[in-house]
Amino acid sequence: MGQLKTRYVMTEQQKMMVFILSMSLFGMATMVSELLPELKFGLVEFKVEYFLFIPLSLAILFHPLHAAVGAALGRIIFGEIMLGQFEALGEIESFLGLVLALYVAGIIVRDPSNKKMVGFAALLAVVIDQFISMGVDIGKVWIGVEEFEAVPGLIESIVAIEGFAFLNDVLFSGILFAMIPTMYLVPKLYGKIEPLLGMKPKTKDLNIPISDIITPNFMVGAAVIAVVAFVAEAFSESEFAPSFEWAFAVENEILFMMISLIVASLISILIIWKILSNRENRKTTN
Amino acid sequence: MSLIEINHVTFQYPGATVPSLSDVSLNIEKGDFIAIMGGNGSGKTTLCKLLNGLIPHYYVGDIEGEVIVDKMKTLESKVTDLSGSVGYVYQDFENQLVRAKVIEDASYSPLNFGYPDYLERGKKALEKVGLKGKDDEYIWELSGGQKHLLALAGAISLEPGILIVDEPVAQLDPQHAKALYDVLKWLNEKEQTTIIVIEHHTEFISEYCKNVVLMADSKLIWKKSVREGLTRINELRERQIYPPQITQAAYALTEKEDRTLPINLSEATEYFKSFNLTECFQPYLTPVPNHTGEKIVDIQQVDFSYKMISRQKKKILKDVSLTIHKGDRIALVGNNGAGKSTLMRLMTGIEKPEFGDVLLKNINTKGVAPESFADMVTYIYQNPEEMFIEDSIQADIEYFLKARKVKDYSETVEKIIDLFQLREIKDRDGRLLSGGQQRRASLAIGVAMQPSLILLDEPTANLDIGTRKHIAQFIQSLKNEAEAVIIATHDMQLVSEWANRIIVMKDGQIIHDGDRASVFSNKALLNSAGLTPPQIMELSQLLGTKLAYSIEEFVAYAQESKEEVTFDGYYKEAARVY
Amino acid sequence: MDITKKLQGFISVEQLKIEVLNAAYGNTDTTIAKLDSRTIFMWYVFYAIFPWLTHSWIVLTGMFLMLVAMIYLARVSYLLLFLFVFGLVGQGSMVLGVSLFFGGNLTTILPLLMFELKLAIISLAGLIAFSTMEPEKLSDGLLKIGVPAQVSFSISYGYRMLPTLIEEYHHVFMSFRLRGKAPDQHGLLYWRTVLYFMTLIVKSFYPLMLSSAKRARTTVESLESRGSLYSFKNPAVKKVKLGYMKFTYKDGLFGLFNLLYVIMLFMLAVALH
Repeated sequence: MGQLKTRYVMTEQQKMMVFILSMSLFGMATMVSELLPELKFGLVEFKVEYFLFIPLSLAILFHPLHAAVGAALGRIIFGEIMLGQFEALGEIESFLGLVLALYVAGIIVRDPSNKKMVGFAALLAVVIDQFISMGVDIGKVWIGVEEFEAVPGLIESIVAIEGFAFLNDVLFSGILFAMIPTMYLVPKLYGKIEPLLGMKPKTKDLNIPISDIITPNFMVGAAVIAVVAFVAEAFSESEFAPSFEWAFAVENEILFMMISLIVASLISILIIWKILSNRENRKTTN
Repeated sequence: MSLIEINHVTFQYPGATVPSLSDVSLNIEKGDFIAIMGGNGSGKTTLCKLLNGLIPHYYVGDIEGEVIVDKMKTLESKVTDLSGSVGYVYQDFENQLVRAKVIEDASYSPLNFGYPDYLERGKKALEKVGLKGKDDEYIWELSGGQKHLLALAGAISLEPGILIVDEPVAQLDPQHAKALYDVLKWLNEKEQTTIIVIEHHTEFISEYCKNVVLMADSKLIWKKSVREGLTRINELRERQIYPPQITQAAYALTEKEDRTLPINLSEATEYFKSFNLTECFQPYLTPVPNHTGEKIVDIQQVDFSYKMISRQKKKILKDVSLTIHKGDRIALVGNNGAGKSTLMRLMTGIEKPEFGDVLLKNINTKGVAPESFADMVTYIYQNPEEMFIEDSIQADIEYFLKARKVKDYSETVEKIIDLFQLREIKDRDGRLLSGGQQRRASLAIGVAMQPSLILLDEPTANLDIGTRKHIAQFIQSLKNEAEAVIIATHDMQLVSEWANRIIVMKDGQIIHDGDRASVFSNKALLNSAGLTPPQIMELSQLLGTKLAYSIEEFVAYAQESKEEVTFDGYYKEAARVY
Repeated sequence: MDITKKLQGFISVEQLKIEVLNAAYGNTDTTIAKLDSRTIFMWYVFYAIFPWLTHSWIVLTGMFLMLVAMIYLARVSYLLLFLFVFGLVGQGSMVLGVSLFFGGNLTTILPLLMFELKLAIISLAGLIAFSTMEPEKLSDGLLKIGVPAQVSFSISYGYRMLPTLIEEYHHVFMSFRLRGKAPDQHGLLYWRTVLYFMTLIVKSFYPLMLSSAKRARTTVESLESRGSLYSFKNPAVKKVKLGYMKFTYKDGLFGLFNLLYVIMLFMLAVALH
């Protein structure tokens, strides 16, 4: 343990470098993939889900945690927030899913020059990530659509769509944009990129037991966050949520009166706003 | 007690086999303006990183000795404690800018230290470097020179007593470099800031610095006053550092290596007065276009503009017409932003003109993918790293030939590897090479495409002078490899030695098209296009002698007129006797 | 579908860069951009959660219309709007088609349509909230509500590096094209051309990774000497930095307006039920 630590301890700055690198590169790549056109043949959809090979390579070559968190954050910032596709709670699962997938891939590869292992890890990462997102998506509709069972064909179609999307992503994005490029890149970068960051390459005899990195605390923490996020989302979509359909009956006339009052106040708010901001503008120009 | 005291420091980077500094001792007084010279790998940058504590706190290597900066022992202080005393401007300063807006970046350090008046401090720093009024601009809208000034503003925002600037001239065109040095001078004189520059452009050292340090092989050779240091001509030359051209000329004429040699232009004009050089009327020459060869490129009334963030268009080229013929060796000169790079990119087919047409060997670039011109034109990027797409130099050179399934490509590749002296580094990744090697490799990649036209964007930028001379030799050999070569450059030495046609651009238009005599004899043109001729040329202009393009020419001319003077003297003597 | 044309459209990287930067910085002087970031966060959370709490078409349609009006006020970038509409139509028609295929009919898929409408409201709200905020404002806002300083730094740094990265990627990509050879024939469904471009898109990342690694080193060094890593842990810095943030009458009026509007929607729903 002691020896291991001295060999694989990264300084605070080196962690920051890996983090920044992973975030900016994967963020940019996500943007590119979001903007790439997709090709559809009926159900079969050829869409580049993401360029996972970038954070995968970094996770395999460096300490997986920082590469993983950086990539997941980069995806949210560039691919979601910047392109206006941020989905609040839904992001938590995809964030955790991606971190977990990259993390596992990073740990199981001990020797980056072993191509088979690298390829396997890359594919595994896509499977983990896509499986989680499939589960979440199915669950979301299950709970979010009222009278789910009552709609004929809904269960089948959702499972079919999501299951197909899963296979499609694993086969298309997984093999073409994760496995093959990672197998191509990792051996090329191995030994070259580490000195640029002032680090020594990961060596073959380096043995990070999974338990060393996935600590019980980490597992529990991740599980709790995931469950809370899912429950929160599920709850918000379910019918258990407080219903705002007003139970008490109110006379329509009174209602219409109140509505017109509200409309009047809405208009007056707009007018007040206009006057105040005009005054403000005049002040700044003076 | 000196402001900076380095006592017997030896430092070795982790994983390195030899120390990067061995037994270095140096004292620097408050208010000094000192230059550190030395070849690549001599330990200059390591020495400077010692001063702001990055060594040994960031680069955790083996260190011996003691460093005291502003009464703080750096080995015992934190980097953040030292950043109030030492400001640092990196060679790749663009990566030093971490915020989006100018004012945010300038006030970043004061903010990090929690000063409530951080914005005022940032503004003050911007004012000092001459970026006042640019507060709300975005960093990507700035020019290279402005970015450098901003990096400087960020470094002085905490008003440090010591400022370190790593190779300012290498990244800037001559005018911006001068502007930067003027700011440094102001800081040194008005604010008593101690300035340390890593520099091997001796013309700048003699103009601005007070003292100079020479480093070689991780050792500090000496620290001397600028006059004493720069006149040690033979020693400097041995270390691949070139003293100012005028100093070299004076030495060549007198062969006396001492403190009487001139080190700047005004001294030189005084100095050479005693040589009684014959004045020579320089007629203003009109350009004589020599358009005889086969047409390679035909640019017809081309306009080009690009969209800015505000979606407004900005005109880059205005009604440019130009034909390029077989045998042309064109130097494209002019300030940054004059449209040189854009004009070259139009010739590759990457960019298409807004109006007008670009014909490459009679094929219009409009509507044709750039791949189809790859056989005809090679564009060698200003940053050679962007040329390296494979993981070894050899693979990069082969890429084009392999993609076209050329038979016996390996023979061609072998020939080119030898031609550009890349044999020893052919298996290495281009990005991990030194600046000179990268340049050589990028030229080789271009030549391997066997094009009719080679376009080079600033091929000698960012190189020290020794390497620059080396690369210039390879550029000379390009004329045998292609039908025409175009170089966009600020390097007037290269222009005067290499080009047979010089095109001067300003504000998106061609303002002159001629040969070197017609360009360098036209002072008004040089001024309006912002061109800085080599020092020796300026000297010959000031002295009113025949225009000298190189030290050798000047020396030969001086010797000739000396003989004439002697002859005149004899003649007068003879006349007196009779 | 002409893939090559589309790809070439993408390859007009200049345009892409402009659109992206515009999305981030282009609309800072709009009415909504003048609000405090915390107001916008609250507004967003409201719109992200509220749709799930109702099944009323009137309320949902009303919210949707309100958002459409705000899109106009917020001057959201065309690129983002295009992506939004494109994604919504694609997703919706897919679900509809599959559902019909499995034997649903128009009345039974109304709940599904409502589900799509809810998703659309949430996406639109996100679009308005995040694309009208300058990255600096967003990161300061996040810092204020307790997100770690590293994250908020990453956001502003990410935006700063993005143009540089896109440009460099473009150069490398062009290097490939200038030295490469596009397939002579497009092949069935353009597969050769698509494969060629996809390979280039992937391969171009190799040089980019190495050069970004070099870049990251200088950046982190400079961050270290400019005290930034140290400031992450210093609460005083946060206070100074966020000192400018305060609620104005605008935030109050904006909140009141939205609240009243939603109440009105519910009243309408009840009244018209």
